[in-house]
Amino acid sequence: MKRPRFQAHIVFKLTTLGLFLLVAAATVLPFSSAGAAAKGKLTLAWHAGFASRWLDPQEHDGTATPDNFFTAIHDALIKNQGTQLYDHLALAEHFAVAADAKSATFTLRKGVKFHNGDPVTPQDVKFSYENYRGAKADVFKKKTERVDIVDDRTIKFVFKEPFLDFAILFGTANVAGPGWVVPEKYYKQVGGDAFKQKPIGAGPFKLVRQEPGVKVEMEAFDAYYRPVSVKQLVMVSVPEAATRVAMLERGEADIVYNVPGELINKVGKLPGVTLAPVLSGSFFIEFPGFQDPKNPFHDKRVREAVSLAVDRRGMNQAETAGMGKPTGNWINNDVQYAIEWPEFPRNVEKAKQLLKEAGYPNGFDVDWVTPLPTFYSRGERLIAQLREVGIRGRLQTMERGIFLQRLQGGIKEFPGTQIILHGVRIAGSWSFWYEGYFKCGGFSSRDRICVKDLDGKFDQYERSINPAERKKLAEEIQRGILENYYLVPVFRHAFVNAIGPRVALQKWQDIFPTITTGYAYPWEDIKVKDQ
Amino acid sequence: MSQFIIRRVLYSVVTLFILSGTIFLIVRLTGDPVALMTEASARPEDLERIRHQWGLDRSWPVQYVTFMQNALQGELGKSFNYRLPVSELYFQRLPNSLTLGLAATLISLLIGIPAGIISAVKVNSAWDNVAKGIALLGLSIPGFWLGLVLILIFSVWLRWLPTSGSGDWRHVVMPALALGWYFAASMLRLTRSSMLEVLGSEYIKLARLKGLPDFVVVAMHAFKNALIPVFTLAGVNMVVMVNAAVIIEVIFAWPGIGRLLYEGIFQRDFPLVQGVVVMAGFMIVGINLVVDVLYAFIDPRIRLTR
Repeated sequence: MKRPRFQAHIVFKLTTLGLFLLVAAATVLPFSSAGAAAKGKLTLAWHAGFASRWLDPQEHDGTATPDNFFTAIHDALIKNQGTQLYDHLALAEHFAVAADAKSATFTLRKGVKFHNGDPVTPQDVKFSYENYRGAKADVFKKKTERVDIVDDRTIKFVFKEPFLDFAILFGTANVAGPGWVVPEKYYKQVGGDAFKQKPIGAGPFKLVRQEPGVKVEMEAFDAYYRPVSVKQLVMVSVPEAATRVAMLERGEADIVYNVPGELINKVGKLPGVTLAPVLSGSFFIEFPGFQDPKNPFHDKRVREAVSLAVDRRGMNQAETAGMGKPTGNWINNDVQYAIEWPEFPRNVEKAKQLLKEAGYPNGFDVDWVTPLPTFYSRGERLIAQLREVGIRGRLQTMERGIFLQRLQGGIKEFPGTQIILHGVRIAGSWSFWYEGYFKCGGFSSRDRICVKDLDGKFDQYERSINPAERKKLAEEIQRGILENYYLVPVFRHAFVNAIGPRVALQKWQDIFPTITTGYAYPWEDIKVKDQ
Repeated sequence: MSQFIIRRVLYSVVTLFILSGTIFLIVRLTGDPVALMTEASARPEDLERIRHQWGLDRSWPVQYVTFMQNALQGELGKSFNYRLPVSELYFQRLPNSLTLGLAATLISLLIGIPAGIISAVKVNSAWDNVAKGIALLGLSIPGFWLGLVLILIFSVWLRWLPTSGSGDWRHVVMPALALGWYFAASMLRLTRSSMLEVLGSEYIKLARLKGLPDFVVVAMHAFKNALIPVFTLAGVNMVVMVNAAVIIEVIFAWPGIGRLLYEGIFQRDFPLVQGVVVMAGFMIVGINLVVDVLYAFIDPRIRLTR
């Protein structure tokens, strides 16, 4: 009997194959099993109370706030991420809007799952869209003819008419939520209210425990399609800013939101702490009722004088330690079709001259200057700056709810000569700004502004299905507002956050990487050093 | 006695009825909650949908009747923001508030009573001046300031205690101290004045004339009688601490009823604010009712005079 010979080449081949498989597994495993690689704990100190409704995309209130929670627990077909305003591929691996804008087709990634293990299906997408009852739900309902499930990964939205804004509305998390997918079976089984207490999503983190209004504890989701870095993600509501800073100092929190102006310098000096001044809302001046010929602001020269009197840089320095940005356009430049505009100059002498030419050599009295609550100090600064050119105003402080209610009440709530210092942030498209804050009948503007020719152009914009024409109209309208000083831009507020020493980063933009939201994300990418 | 109890119960019911109506009106005078539940570019359709969803499109009398009907069945409505029954939220937070209230009461008693006694016994002495100084500081130092100073010293500098939140006993120390400090001052003042009154009474003079040692006179005779109003105040204080420690609970992110009320007010959560205030009122009225009945039981003159 012949003894088997030692065959070196076979051993070599087997060893090579084994090594190859090992390397391949090491490369693939972190992506196929995200949670297994996740380590460490990250704690976020949130700056207000938690509302459970923020955990349910189906009732998205259209504000930026739910972003913070959606991006952890849920996922959308497409979403805003990084510098992509709305078209970052998330649960969808591909999407296309038809050339005539009368349909949009999405293809789901292979193997995406909800936290309960159920696959994300086109039926879930269809349910999430059709059941959606949050902000702008009426727009989607009015424009959609039907939703077709093409195959087990493909879904098609068919519209009654060209729906040019579909993708931007669908994919911008802080505008609307029908693109964020919830599990149909579970949602129907527990109902909307119970879902808000124990939401199941397809996002990078699954909910472990929620104390309503106090704390949300989450854990990395093993089956997420991207690697998740930290194992535990805890969001704690800490309304008092000084307490949040103390938590950061003591290592109890890794990220804190909303460091107020008076604490910015202190926090900036803490060892290992990085400030993250995210450019946020735009502050601008409105002249309610300027259309009345008796109103001093009816004269364009007076409105221009106001603009010349405003010390934008001084305001920015005093209010946000210089971390905001004086702006030329009242619409943020991170939305579709927003135009860039040079910063308006400050020239007190010219402002006085313009007032003199307009028939106000000694200035005039403004009944009230009302700033957005609670930014009262900005109102005081504005009053002081206007006084330099002879415009004398008094500060009117209002509680936020009252202020919003009075805005909705229209011109009758702002009789006489008044100035409003607004502050707002709206994502998505320039048109949402116009519609809310300028258009006659808008949510905030009501009947206070009403410039017919611009509203006419806006109607034309809304009707148009030609992107080039829409862009042109958008730019014309914005120029019209700025050249006539209908609204006077002041500066962009900085939403200042702070990042603790345990968080791995090269620069603060690694944690707050986007211009489309003020919050930290993508949560799955954030790492802690000692993991 | 039964007539007295019936009368007191009726007074309590009327009080609660007035309270419910008042808070119902007040929250509605503060503005439109829907404005805070939507985004800046919302359309009128969005606003109407939300108003309808929460029944805010109905008239105020209809809303009030619905609120009262539900309240009589133990339902205080559903929170706009948490989408949970208000009663459930209230009872979720109640244990935390009771813990904080008890700890703060204990601190206020431990500081207030001994200091009040020493101050009364050593009246017009240096001890008395120190105690009066403590009372003055207690009543004049704002709770939020004291809270932040405590966080700075014990959490940030010394690193002995956690800054905020709830969990083990260490989380309770600072909020209880910050909350109890104010009430300790009022307790000190009441103990002092009560002790001075008792120490000036005839039977104390007699005890002294009999040659009893000072310690026995103070501890055995004066102390017990002087404490009756002090403990009555402590009971009422505790109800206030449980239901209205808003600022301290916010500073320390303590998940209690005060913070729940703060969140409700801040977010215009009508059902939540109404519910918390009615529950707090129910507790205060209930405790007062029990105290009244007990007083009448102990002292028959009370039931005749009221």
